[in-house]
Amino acid sequence: MSVPPAAFLAAGTILFVIGLVGALLKRNALSIFLSIELMMNAVNLLFLTYGRMRGDPSSHVIVFFVIAIAAAEAAVGLAVFVALFRSRQTIEVDRVNLLKW
Amino acid sequence: MTSLWWIPVLPLLGFVVNGAVALASSSRRARRGERGGPLPYGERLFHGLVGVGTVGASGVLAFAALVPWTQQSLAGGALPVVETVFRWMFAGDFSVDVAFRLDALSALMLSFVTFVGTLIHLYSVGYMQEEEGYGRYFAFLNLFMFAMLTLVLGANLPVLFIGWEGVGLCSYLLIGYYYDKDFAVAAGKKAFVVNRVGDVGFVLGIFGVLALFGTTDFSFLEAARHQIVSDTAPLSVYAVCLLLFLGACGKSAQVPLYVWLPDAMAGPTPVSALIHAATMVTAGVYLVARTSTVFVLAPDAMTLVAWVGAGTAIFAATIGLAQNDIKKVLAYSTVSQLGYMFLACGVGAFAAGMFHVFTHAFFKACLFLGSGSVIHAMHHEQDMRKMGGLAPRVPQTFRTMLVATLAISGIVPLAGFFSKDQILGSVAAAGQWTLYAVGVLTAAMTAFYMFRLVRMTFAGEFRGTHEQEHHVHESPATMTVPLWILAAGSAVAGFIWVPFGVSSLLPRFLAPALAEVPEHEMSHGAELGLMALSLGAAIAGIALAVRWYTGRPAPEHAAHKPAEEIVVSPAAAAFCERTGALGTMIKNKWNVDEGIEAVVLGPFRSIGRFLWKGFDALFIDGIANASAFLVELTGDLLRFFTTGNVRNYALGFTLGVLFLVAYALFR
Amino acid sequence: MTAELLLFAFAAGLAIAFALAMVVEKTPVRSVLSLVVTFFGITVLAVMLAAPFIAAIIMIVYAGAILVLFLFVIMLLNLNEEAREKDSRPVQRVLGLVSALALGGLLLGLTLRAGKPPVEPSALPGRIPALDEIPLVGRLLFSDYLFAFEAVAVLLLAAAVGALILSRRRMD
Repeated sequence: MSVPPAAFLAAGTILFVIGLVGALLKRNALSIFLSIELMMNAVNLLFLTYGRMRGDPSSHVIVFFVIAIAAAEAAVGLAVFVALFRSRQTIEVDRVNLLKW
Repeated sequence: MTSLWWIPVLPLLGFVVNGAVALASSSRRARRGERGGPLPYGERLFHGLVGVGTVGASGVLAFAALVPWTQQSLAGGALPVVETVFRWMFAGDFSVDVAFRLDALSALMLSFVTFVGTLIHLYSVGYMQEEEGYGRYFAFLNLFMFAMLTLVLGANLPVLFIGWEGVGLCSYLLIGYYYDKDFAVAAGKKAFVVNRVGDVGFVLGIFGVLALFGTTDFSFLEAARHQIVSDTAPLSVYAVCLLLFLGACGKSAQVPLYVWLPDAMAGPTPVSALIHAATMVTAGVYLVARTSTVFVLAPDAMTLVAWVGAGTAIFAATIGLAQNDIKKVLAYSTVSQLGYMFLACGVGAFAAGMFHVFTHAFFKACLFLGSGSVIHAMHHEQDMRKMGGLAPRVPQTFRTMLVATLAISGIVPLAGFFSKDQILGSVAAAGQWTLYAVGVLTAAMTAFYMFRLVRMTFAGEFRGTHEQEHHVHESPATMTVPLWILAAGSAVAGFIWVPFGVSSLLPRFLAPALAEVPEHEMSHGAELGLMALSLGAAIAGIALAVRWYTGRPAPEHAAHKPAEEIVVSPAAAAFCERTGALGTMIKNKWNVDEGIEAVVLGPFRSIGRFLWKGFDALFIDGIANASAFLVELTGDLLRFFTTGNVRNYALGFTLGVLFLVAYALFR
Repeated sequence: MTAELLLFAFAAGLAIAFALAMVVEKTPVRSVLSLVVTFFGITVLAVMLAAPFIAAIIMIVYAGAILVLFLFVIMLLNLNEEAREKDSRPVQRVLGLVSALALGGLLLGLTLRAGKPPVEPSALPGRIPALDEIPLVGRLLFSDYLFAFEAVAVLLLAAAVGALILSRRRMD
């Protein structure tokens, strides 16, 4: 096909970096979480590209699992945020620092 | 014939049984709060039966084994009986078995060790009956018999060493029997530590023997008597002999390793009799006799042995002249007599040395047990200045002790005369006239201080307190019967070797086990003259003692004065004044203990203190503290990383991944 | 300029643009919605990579369930705009940005270096073998990756139970 795989890889990497920047710079816990989801999806894209390059369908299986685990993670993480909000009335990451030295 | 190994094992069983029962009983009494006081009759009976019974049975077995063997040996020669129990160590060519050996030397030792040992066990039944630690006493005494018999029956040096260490341990345990008395505990430790110094030499000597001959087995050492090992450097043989002799000095209390023996008198008197007179202290002589084939290869070493023996003999005799504690006199007398035995071995008369070991066991044990009887009668008074006039009050003790004292003084026809004369005769025949003179002088002193002891204790008027006077009584039969038996032994034991061809049972018997030494011949006339000389010296000593120590009249108010102020013999006191500084030195035992304290112990303590305060506290603790401090410091510095902020942690991740990727990319 | 290239450019550009939007947006709701569009772009790219099943899964599970869950939580917690206070940690922001960009650069270099396919592109089938994918994946799931499959099922159970417990109201 005429689209070089390198292009897909580049796209995936750029998405990953955008997600990383968001995870590092955002103060709202939910926004950070969203950025993490973006990172994971970018990785999915990369996996699929590599699988296509090598003709290996196990990359699809891996992606499948990643999605399942991301779902589980999202559920638990959001439950944690809910509990956190209930007790601290805030969801800003900077305020949650009781484990400071 | 039953196995040889039953002979040591029976007392071992006695130890286990007595020990277990004593432990159980004492913990039961402690729980019930019944501390102090003698044990009930049933327990005493049990402990006594087991204690005396096992040793007695062992003795019966011993005699059953050695009597026929002895007869055969004297008749036409008998081979040593070696019985291997199990294989102990092996590495390549080298192997050591736990094995027991019955030959002339071990048969001789076995005979009197079991005989005297059984008598002393019997004596202890009466002597120790007031003691709460009765069971413990008999347990340890049985353990001692086990160790001593292992020592005597051992077929090679390592097994002998097991017994050697065992008797040292039991010595410590029994000297410190009165564990609530500080000086007894200290004496036990002193005995063990000083022994240890000798043991270093002994162990190194065993290694040396192994290096020289490739084996430590006595059969080989005996076989070696027929060939001189010519390719070994004389210096190494000399060194090995010195090392073995060092071990013997420790165990047999020769100068300077004798200091433990007088202090060991802190233990119960039967212990002093058994261990520090009759058996353990003779182990050193036994060792030298056993390895005689090695010693004859190093004549210089033998000279050293002779001189150390003679020097110790006279040195200890001088101290014995001024001692006032009845047991201390006997202790120094033991050291002195041991010196005689080594003197004999040193001039090549190993058989004469063993002869003196044999006779000494009888009369010294009799003397110690007799002194125990006296102490018992005087209600634990041991200072002779507080005694006097006891002859009519404890007649059996007096008579038996008199016999033993005559024996040790070398009066014919008692045992000591023959053995001492044999030694002095051999010394003279070897041409060692200085040593001979020392020996005769020592004999005179021995007679003097022994009769001084007898006179101060039994003659004249009583100098003790009135309560003591009321208490004085003869000892029970369990104590007097052994005394009579030992006195009889002191009288007749000498007849196994009478010169001029009257009886040479012992030298013929021992010859196969000892090294062959060229005989020095002396004419009958010369020999007779020397006998008269030593007899004369002894009689002179006795006469002086009898004259000076009449004990009559008793000093004024002696009953009320403390012992230190009583002067029993004004003549002796005057003589002491005239000798001035020399007399003071003798009274102070030549300040040997103080010397050791200053020269050896003091520096050791200083080094120890330095290592403790300087090295350990500062340096090693410093390292530990510094490392702890470093950890704390690092922690203090690193804790700033735990900000509690999740974003910082995420940043950390990112930086880490960055470095990893960079590394992977630019490797 | 083939149609594929055009399609790729469109999808990739869409995804990246809205990803940036998501990061920049202050309101949580708008972030979520931007992310949905991003996912749509990724879905298209997945189809182009001969993974239609996965593409459908992404759309259904990711965009359809997970992001909806996010929306629920936002509404539950009644989150408004992000507070406009100044960031108390400027160092974090700067360092974060710099390191992320650096990492991105490196990763880009890494992936592009590895971007040379072992198999010649022309050898790959031009058409998307859509009908082959599902049986293939299914067969793999239930043979080689069976244990992982079952384990993930248990994981989901655990997550569900955990979420339940965590978000319970305290029994005061």
